[in-house]
Amino acid sequence: MNPGIYETVLRWIPEKSRVLDLGAGDGSFLARLVQARQATGEGVEKDSGLVARCVERGLVVHQGDIADGLDQYGDGAFDFVLLLGTFQELVLPAEILREAFRVGRQVIVAYSNFAHLRVRLQILFQGRTPVTRSLPQPWHRTRNLHFLSILDFQQFTRDLGVRETARAYFNARGAVRFLPNLRAEEAVSLLHADTISRRSAVAEPGKTKTETYEV
Amino acid sequence: MAALPTNFARGDLQDQKVADYQSPLGVTRTETVSLPGLRTHSGFTFEQVDVAYQTLGTLSPARDNAILICPALTGDAHVAGTDPHTGRPGWWDYHVGPGKAIDTDKFFVICASVLGGCGGTTGPASSRPGNGKPYGMDFPPVTVRDMVSVQIKLLDHLGIPKLFAVIGGSMGGMQVLALAVDHPERVRVCIPIATCISHTAMQIAFNEIGRHAIVSDPDWNGGDYSEGRRPVHGLAVARMVGHVTYLSEFAMTHKFGRQRQAEQGANGDEAAAFSVESYLQHQGQNFVKRFDPNSYLYLTRAIDQFDLFENGPAADILRRVRARFLVISFASDWLYPPAQSRELVRLLKRAGISATYINVGTEYGHDSFLIENPAFASVVRHYLENENRSRQLKP
Repeated sequence: MNPGIYETVLRWIPEKSRVLDLGAGDGSFLARLVQARQATGEGVEKDSGLVARCVERGLVVHQGDIADGLDQYGDGAFDFVLLLGTFQELVLPAEILREAFRVGRQVIVAYSNFAHLRVRLQILFQGRTPVTRSLPQPWHRTRNLHFLSILDFQQFTRDLGVRETARAYFNARGAVRFLPNLRAEEAVSLLHADTISRRSAVAEPGKTKTETYEV
Repeated sequence: MAALPTNFARGDLQDQKVADYQSPLGVTRTETVSLPGLRTHSGFTFEQVDVAYQTLGTLSPARDNAILICPALTGDAHVAGTDPHTGRPGWWDYHVGPGKAIDTDKFFVICASVLGGCGGTTGPASSRPGNGKPYGMDFPPVTVRDMVSVQIKLLDHLGIPKLFAVIGGSMGGMQVLALAVDHPERVRVCIPIATCISHTAMQIAFNEIGRHAIVSDPDWNGGDYSEGRRPVHGLAVARMVGHVTYLSEFAMTHKFGRQRQAEQGANGDEAAAFSVESYLQHQGQNFVKRFDPNSYLYLTRAIDQFDLFENGPAADILRRVRARFLVISFASDWLYPPAQSRELVRLLKRAGISATYINVGTEYGHDSFLIENPAFASVVRHYLENENRSRQLKP
């Protein structure tokens, strides 16, 4: 993942926050967060080898699959819930986002932008499923289940009743400000739930009528 | 058949001599102390209880580096090092010693045989005060909480106000949980392994098969047996059943498969025993030499009766707990399945207790914590090291 995403997340999280990192991997970023922000951190990771690495770093970690829910955590147990790097692999991202908002006040999501220029060109001129820096695996090996663009993600959050309070876009050269849906390979988004936790069910995507003029 | 990992082939250190295995601790001794007055949860009062225990390593001047190891059903005080009489290593020698998961260079390790057992601590085979005959079935019912009360008495005797950690697997894990709840001021770090907050019907069922085998052995005689005629057949069957539940299908397939004993199978003898048969018989025969049948009845009852939250809602009971937890289960453990550990973790976390949970992939079954197990050992060692470091930073 683009290192800019980690820097951005570090900036967004105030000192002494309670942070839950979903898909914590070997815990390297969570450990950094705990160190740099004096955060109270906890990770969830499904691979026992990676859980062991988190333990080596002295992190509190829970071995589990986030697709099974976060029942072990009480409502509002965290200030921030992080979903960095696994979002497009989740079978039911809306359900997981809802669960993240039950246990946390704010959620930070990182995802790959499938509408990046290079992706569009590969489809258009080669007629092949794209393989790029941020989507490095061929179609039969990729763990990505969902191929979303920045516009798709924004639509998705609106449908869920979630407010995006900050965002940042990146490609290999760094931060992207101009035409992100075309030029950014990766995105990170800070979300705040106003209504999501009170809803009985997630709105079906696409139900909200929104006009978009971005490319 | 795929090659069996060496640690699977070697198994645990409880009932077999592992070739070439030498404990780095050398000879270690078990001591026995008589402690005054214990009232059990059933209301019985012992004027005094004998406690057999072992200590390893050095107690720090601040008396704050003690780790209590709670034995499982058939474990005893001899946790590590070589027994001077039998020459056998302790049951957890793989994981307790200098530089090991529980590092005796850093920590003062205590392990005591449990109340109701037969490892030197007062139990059904102990002499009754007065007439010198064994208690037998007159021994009062014992609970996991009673076992913990005895351990607390031992800590008082040793002058340890607060443990750095308490750790144990299976029945040992239940003692860890009971200690955390009943004596929250006495411990900083709890490591329950392959355990549960209460037995399911299946767990009780397997224990009942073992108990039934013992009490239906004519030599059991209502629990009043002599050294000469012990219900060894019943106890051996109990151990055989128990042992199967401690392993996994994977471990048994790779350890035995459908192999037959070589000496019988060579001439095509159809009745040749499968290796697994003779292995289980061997396990049974060895076990009866060192275990008291009545203790088996009492201890299995104790773990069947155990219910961490018998006295109220989990949230209320856990409110007073101050310790930090490392909960470990094994993916292949079907006797104490990972879901039971996850339920424990859920209740701990919901009560605001810091809990790390790992489901180690070892394919050996319930006994995965008793064998040489680098993945398990590394997690325990690092967790203890990190907690020890933060203890020194903010005592």
